[in-house]
Amino acid sequence: MGAGLFAAAEFAMPDLVHNVPQLSMPHLRMWHVNGVAIGWLSMGYVGAMFHMIPTLCKTRLWSERLGNFSMWAWNLVMVGAFCTLLNGNTEGREYAELGAILDVLVALDLILILYNVYRTILNRRVQKLYVSLWYFLGSLFWFPLVYLIGQRTFVALPGLNDAIVGWFYGHNILGMWFTTVGVGMMYYLLPRLTQAPLYSHGLSMLGFWGIALFYAPTGTHHILQSPVPEWLKAIAVISSIFLLVPVLTVLTNFFMTMKGKWGMVVTDLPLRFAVTSACFYLVTCVQGPFQATRWVNWYLHFSQWVVGHAHLALLGTFSFILTSAFYYSLPRLTGRDWYSQGLIRAHYWLKFLGFLLMMTSLTIAGLVQAAGWAFGVPIDQWSLQIRPYWFLRELSGIMIVLGQLIFAYNAYKSFYTSEPAVVLVKPAPGKTQEVKA
Amino acid sequence: MPKEKPESFQQRWLSGYTLGAIGILSTFMIIIFSTVFMPMVLFRPSPSGRGNDYTVEQVADAHRGRQIYVREGCFYCHTQFTRLQDRGYGPLVQAGDYNYETPHQLGTARTGPDLTNEGGRMSSQWQKAHLVNPRALKPGSIMPSFSFLSDRDMNDLVAYIQSLGNKRTSKNFVEAPDEYRDTTDHGKALLDRKTTGKEAVDTNSSAAANAGRGIYTQNCAVCHGLEGWGNGPNAISLEKKPANFSRPFYKQYPDEFWFYRISEGVPGTRMPRFGEILSEQQRWYLVAYLKTLQKDQEVVISKIDQLNKAEQVKLPVLTDQQYEPHTGE
Ligand code: HEC
Ligand code: HEC
Repeated sequence: MGAGLFAAAEFAMPDLVHNVPQLSMPHLRMWHVNGVAIGWLSMGYVGAMFHMIPTLCKTRLWSERLGNFSMWAWNLVMVGAFCTLLNGNTEGREYAELGAILDVLVALDLILILYNVYRTILNRRVQKLYVSLWYFLGSLFWFPLVYLIGQRTFVALPGLNDAIVGWFYGHNILGMWFTTVGVGMMYYLLPRLTQAPLYSHGLSMLGFWGIALFYAPTGTHHILQSPVPEWLKAIAVISSIFLLVPVLTVLTNFFMTMKGKWGMVVTDLPLRFAVTSACFYLVTCVQGPFQATRWVNWYLHFSQWVVGHAHLALLGTFSFILTSAFYYSLPRLTGRDWYSQGLIRAHYWLKFLGFLLMMTSLTIAGLVQAAGWAFGVPIDQWSLQIRPYWFLRELSGIMIVLGQLIFAYNAYKSFYTSEPAVVLVKPAPGKTQEVKA
Repeated sequence: MPKEKPESFQQRWLSGYTLGAIGILSTFMIIIFSTVFMPMVLFRPSPSGRGNDYTVEQVADAHRGRQIYVREGCFYCHTQFTRLQDRGYGPLVQAGDYNYETPHQLGTARTGPDLTNEGGRMSSQWQKAHLVNPRALKPGSIMPSFSFLSDRDMNDLVAYIQSLGNKRTSKNFVEAPDEYRDTTDHGKALLDRKTTGKEAVDTNSSAAANAGRGIYTQNCAVCHGLEGWGNGPNAISLEKKPANFSRPFYKQYPDEFWFYRISEGVPGTRMPRFGEILSEQQRWYLVAYLKTLQKDQEVVISKIDQLNKAEQVKLPVLTDQQYEPHTGE
């Protein structure tokens, strides 16, 4: 699986620099979004799940050949996506740009993965399902559905209905896939990394069902000011605000698990990634409902502020937790220690500072833009004023990509040169994966 | 070893795990049903006749242009819906305007301006030149250059841009945005306050015009001139000259439109937005006054000495003493 993960990393990362505004940006942007969402995060997630689920079930993956196959199929899809999107072969639907054939392939692949995981869980040797499994399973049930509905490949809905379904998908690829798997991973990683038991299983279940209930209908808050029906907007706004409940439950659980262990982030690098991710998650999820209320939305919508928010979620939160999962599980999969701790540190700081810089510059640029749009100031009068922030964002992109390259280099080196790991605690489940890497 | 009991139905199917899976799926299905399928059934706006129907043959050109718009991803930077607060982008959109817009191009971010009603705003030449080299026409623009488009693509794309919102333009050239007219709640409330209540202003009365005149001299004459001929002392320094209210053209302006202009200024010119400076009542007084300024023949201002003179203002001589900050003694 390692190969899949790295292919994903290599695939998706170069385009994080999409932010050179003067390049022919829209094509890059399609590739950026799809590369990050379908390539980097999704593939990484599936990779992590293939490791974590067997571990949690104390069994082996049901079929490794199938797992391998889905990995290659997914990579193939990404190659296809790369070729088509950069040429502008798009469906013109944000986040669902991939053409019909690729759509079907992704969905089939997801179903294969679901089947594989489902069988693995049926084979489990523990009675109780750990909360992470709930999240993984839920996501794997939801996501293929969301994906199929969201692509609208074979239906042509009239404009606004198209938009409603589009945003149902656009938000739920986040809510029912990135969030749920990401949070599931946090539930897996935090107790393991801190070697402390999870604070409360009850809370974690509450969080799970809360997310399941409140996340899915929020999509329409992306088109709050367009002429879609008011009742739909009301549902979206209300459930967006209610999302605070499960999110805060989840975070309480994390932070209580961390209690007394905060010092460990200094020395334990995977944990540091995970904790950073949890903190960013808090920020995202407080920001989100706040943006979804009508008056804030009235002002901020359409501006780069929202772009900042999206990066906070996908980069700040989910990318960090995924990286943490990599750093935690690769030594356990390959039986080799990380080549260099220093490089991990460098990766962390580049990514962390780069991200902070990106977030700040986007948010400030967003505020300028929002003021411009809201008060009807013609763009000519302020486009030069946000220029510095474009450059800052550019810089932050470079930092992040540099961090990611260091990561790839480090992983490469660890595969081929580094010493057998000493940290290995549970080699058994890892063994099954090793074949694939 | 005790014989294993055959599993009961409950044990087999209603164990925590399967029950969970069922719960997961059903919660989700209910939500999909209510937010995805229900709108498809319940929300079926009938065509408002203001959106473009791309299935009709005549606009085949623009239809292809639209595909290029989609292909080139213009919607990542440009939106296609006007909101209540969007000024200077023309009429508000309605649900029925979008019936033929598939895939929708509503857009998410406004890195560039809204294009809902872009059609006819600029000449096709301008649009083409702008697509090839945006910075030649708009210094500092960050719109990418689309010079790689073939001639045919470019023409179709421009045809599409020019078709945007064509059917939405009002027959009456000087229609104020919807929120100033009685077509929206906002506008109704505004017009109610104008006609009834203690702030009511009769914009046709000479009393109101007289009240407006004072406000005009204080706020507007510097640009629009004492007589409203666009010849205030400031006019000389303005690239886009202030409006000359003696033009007979202005006779057709309805009250709401005057009010809208005064409140929101004219985008792209130095005309300020007085909505934040003057009260609603003051603005209605101004409307009453402006309506009295039109003549049968426009007064043409062509020479610099026709500008209103500005008296040199006598500023106090600055001395260190006079403006020294208080020390608190
Ligand atoms: C990187 C974002 C970006 C992309 C992509 C983009 N634009 Fe723009 N566009 C802008 C900005 C910024 C402006 C405002 C400055 C200017 O007029 O150049 C603008 C202005 C415009 C205007 C002039 C609006 C007016 O009334 O002043 C038109 C028309 C336009 N764009 C059409 C398009 C078309 C068609 C495409 C796709 C082929 C496109 N744009 C792609 C950013 C973008
Ligand atoms: C800083 C100079 C300035 C001041 C002060 C100013 N205006 Fe203007 N005004 C302009 C300019 C410039 C235009 C744009 C003319 C054009 O459309 O090309 C304009 C346009 C207008 C228009 C729109 C005319 C049309 O063609 O639709 C109205 C109405 C108007 N002004 C009213 C007022 C009133 C009332 C005041 C005082 C409360 C005022 N202006 C103060 C500069 C000014």
